[in-house]
Amino acid sequence: MGLVWRITRLNFRAVLEYRAEFMLKVAVGAAWQISVVVFATVLLTRFPGMGGWATSDVLLLASMRLLSHGLYVLLLGRVTWTHIVVQLGQIDAFMLRPMPVYRQVQLAFFNVNAVGDLLVAASLFVGAVLVVDVDWTPARIAYLVVALVGGVLAEGAIGTALGSAALHAPATAYWSMWLDELMTAFGNYPLHILPGLVRDAFTFVLPLAFVAYLPAAVLTGHLETLAVPGWLAVASPLIGLLAYLASRLLWKRSLRAYKGYGGT
Amino acid sequence: MDAIIARDLTKTFHTIARRPGFVGGLKSLVAPARIAKTAVDGVSFSVREGELLALLGPNGAGKSTTIKMLTGILVPTSGEVRVAGLEPHRDRERNARTIGAVFGQRTQLWWDLPARDSLAILRDIFDVEAEEYRRRLAEFDDLLGLSEFWDSRIRHLSLGQRVRCDLAAALIHDPKIVFLDEPTIGMDVVVKEQVREFLRHQVEQRGRTVVLTTHDMTEVNRLAERIVLINHGRLFFDGSLTELRRQFGATWQVHVTLADAPADVAVPGLRVLRRDGPRVAFGPGDGATSTHEALRLIIERYAITDLAIEENDLEDVMREAYLHREQMTA
Amino acid sequence: MSVAQWRVARVTPLGEFAQPARITGTAVRLAAQVFLVVCLWRSLYSQVETSAGLVRDQAVTYAVLAVLALQIRGLDRSASRDTMLQHIQEGTVLYWFVRPIPPRRYYLVRAVGDQLYGFAWVLVGYTICLTAGAVEPPASGSAAAAFAVSALLAQVIMYQLLLAVDLLCFWTLQNNAALTILRFLQNLLSGVIAPLWFFPDWFLTISSVLPFRYTLDVPLSLYIGRSPLSDTPRLLAIQLLWCVLLAGLTRLMWRKAAGVVTVQGG
Repeated sequence: MGLVWRITRLNFRAVLEYRAEFMLKVAVGAAWQISVVVFATVLLTRFPGMGGWATSDVLLLASMRLLSHGLYVLLLGRVTWTHIVVQLGQIDAFMLRPMPVYRQVQLAFFNVNAVGDLLVAASLFVGAVLVVDVDWTPARIAYLVVALVGGVLAEGAIGTALGSAALHAPATAYWSMWLDELMTAFGNYPLHILPGLVRDAFTFVLPLAFVAYLPAAVLTGHLETLAVPGWLAVASPLIGLLAYLASRLLWKRSLRAYKGYGGT
Repeated sequence: MDAIIARDLTKTFHTIARRPGFVGGLKSLVAPARIAKTAVDGVSFSVREGELLALLGPNGAGKSTTIKMLTGILVPTSGEVRVAGLEPHRDRERNARTIGAVFGQRTQLWWDLPARDSLAILRDIFDVEAEEYRRRLAEFDDLLGLSEFWDSRIRHLSLGQRVRCDLAAALIHDPKIVFLDEPTIGMDVVVKEQVREFLRHQVEQRGRTVVLTTHDMTEVNRLAERIVLINHGRLFFDGSLTELRRQFGATWQVHVTLADAPADVAVPGLRVLRRDGPRVAFGPGDGATSTHEALRLIIERYAITDLAIEENDLEDVMREAYLHREQMTA
Repeated sequence: MSVAQWRVARVTPLGEFAQPARITGTAVRLAAQVFLVVCLWRSLYSQVETSAGLVRDQAVTYAVLAVLALQIRGLDRSASRDTMLQHIQEGTVLYWFVRPIPPRRYYLVRAVGDQLYGFAWVLVGYTICLTAGAVEPPASGSAAAAFAVSALLAQVIMYQLLLAVDLLCFWTLQNNAALTILRFLQNLLSGVIAPLWFFPDWFLTISSVLPFRYTLDVPLSLYIGRSPLSDTPRLLAIQLLWCVLLAGLTRLMWRKAAGVVTVQGG
């Protein structure tokens, strides 16, 4: 753990070397999140009562999703760069070092965009928590924290699964990017505004619902609008954890079957 | 007739110095400190038509900058260039039709297209007639074995295959003059040999003028008629391989074992480097002598039972030459 | 168009055809994106009749056309190692300067080829969407005509903007971030993320003085009849003005960019 911290600090210092670039990257992250916020606000003001939820409830959902996304990008996000690590041949070098390859991928660099992401997400989150009509008992606060962690893990599971695929076919990055766009576009709204088939796909194929939608429904008391049983919604953080563990197993198996890249 | 003339060619780059720290960074924005670096400094040489010239020098010596000026990509800071009578950077498009170029491992082919499609695009860009194109492609295929892989997309080719395609691409419009900046870097010996054979053919059969940079001394040995050495942007040798050896590497040794051991061994024009009983090592004396000459002189004088010649290889010669130049500048 | 230009223009489409997986990928992605966008906007309108002066079908048509239009905003060539940034980073841009076709024209011809290829996608997608009822036909015959002219001008502005961003690579090799911000601004301010009409007034004001809106929002608004026809001459004039201004800018940038290569050595 000390080593992980040391390498992260070095990576951080490395990006600080180029301050202009650093600020720009923070700005990119922030801009990206702001666009999501703008879009969400536009929709919320123009179309109140989305899917039967109050505007502040949707805001809480959106901010939970943005915050857990920001944390995910900071903590686990490098796994989506696996295709580049593979194409550059670094993975081969990682395999020769006495540290798990997964951890090395995560330590490959410090993702500055995450700083911008987090800045915007955190401010929106604080605002949403204050505005939303929820009685913040210690139990609810605890659940909120656990749900955020679960959200990070659920998104980490998706990223890790895609990274495992990228170990063999870097071209899958095309699909990862698209999925990322999809999750950005639809992760922030009550998913039941979408047709049943799509909603189910976002729940059981791509576990997007467990990132923020279901836990937010639990917190704001909208269990009746859900298509899944209440206990499943409550168990979202656990599902995030399980999905993440499963994705790590997948990674391990993919890595064992790694055949190298290029160099015919 | 000279195909290429470079006279007093100089290229100075201006870069902006980064000051350390945040305040320094701001200062650099407001009042950038410009640093001038002369990459090529008054280089003059010429290349005859149909000649293969090796442009050699250590890393960062200014070879690539020179090639870029000769191809018309870079505008010289001062001095004059003529390539086939044209000033490359002023007449870039006409110049482009008379030259071909390969820049190391950088490919000019389109990554996602089969090699043959890329060649066809270049054929049209360079207005090559269909019949001529077919003939030339057949010739290249014959020498480089392109047809084995030219229907594959570039991204699937190995380095050697790709560079062979790039060579074909650079020559598809029958340029009189060809510039090759480290074309064989990273290739295996078989492909290297194939490429050398191809280049030799282009020079000897097609009469092309070739300027080649490389770090591969075997290549120089096999191909180069003339060598130009550059270091720190300055030219410091221009001549044949033999002359280069004479100037920097005349350190052969002839080891002989004499049949009978006289007390005093001496051969005019040669130096005795070591003597251990009947075994004697000779080196060149004051007047530079070739090994053949030395052998003749030794055999005329002494009966020998055993003989070995040890000649510095080209790498040693180059090391000597580069270091020699370092000392001169120091 | 000469044979050489035709050949050059075909490079990207040929590369796509060489990999059927990519074409299937584009089709799947496009279909899914359109489907989701239609779902989203229809469900948003389930409670309201009109919003920001747009009825449901207008909003859906706008949003779907915006998704389709992304296909002609320059294909992503990074997988083919064929973006300006990659050519500059890898040094292969040198070859652009040793061919008898000027780099400027080479770039233009490639872009035209790419956009024609993208336009084929748009046409097919549009026809399917129209048949399936996902988009409405143009508001009127004159709206269609105004849209056609405006869309063409929009494409010219788009080309100039992409070119300007690409040319920036000659100076800012490291500056991926700056490029990302520019691309993002284009999307936000042109109406790709959401129809501009839904945004607050101050946002519309800002976007009206920037070129991005004229690459997408203006033609689409004419198409759905949200911009009155009487406004057409003014809008087209502004588009034309941007075309001229940006053409001047990119011309200047090309000259400077060539200088970066020929004087500073890239």
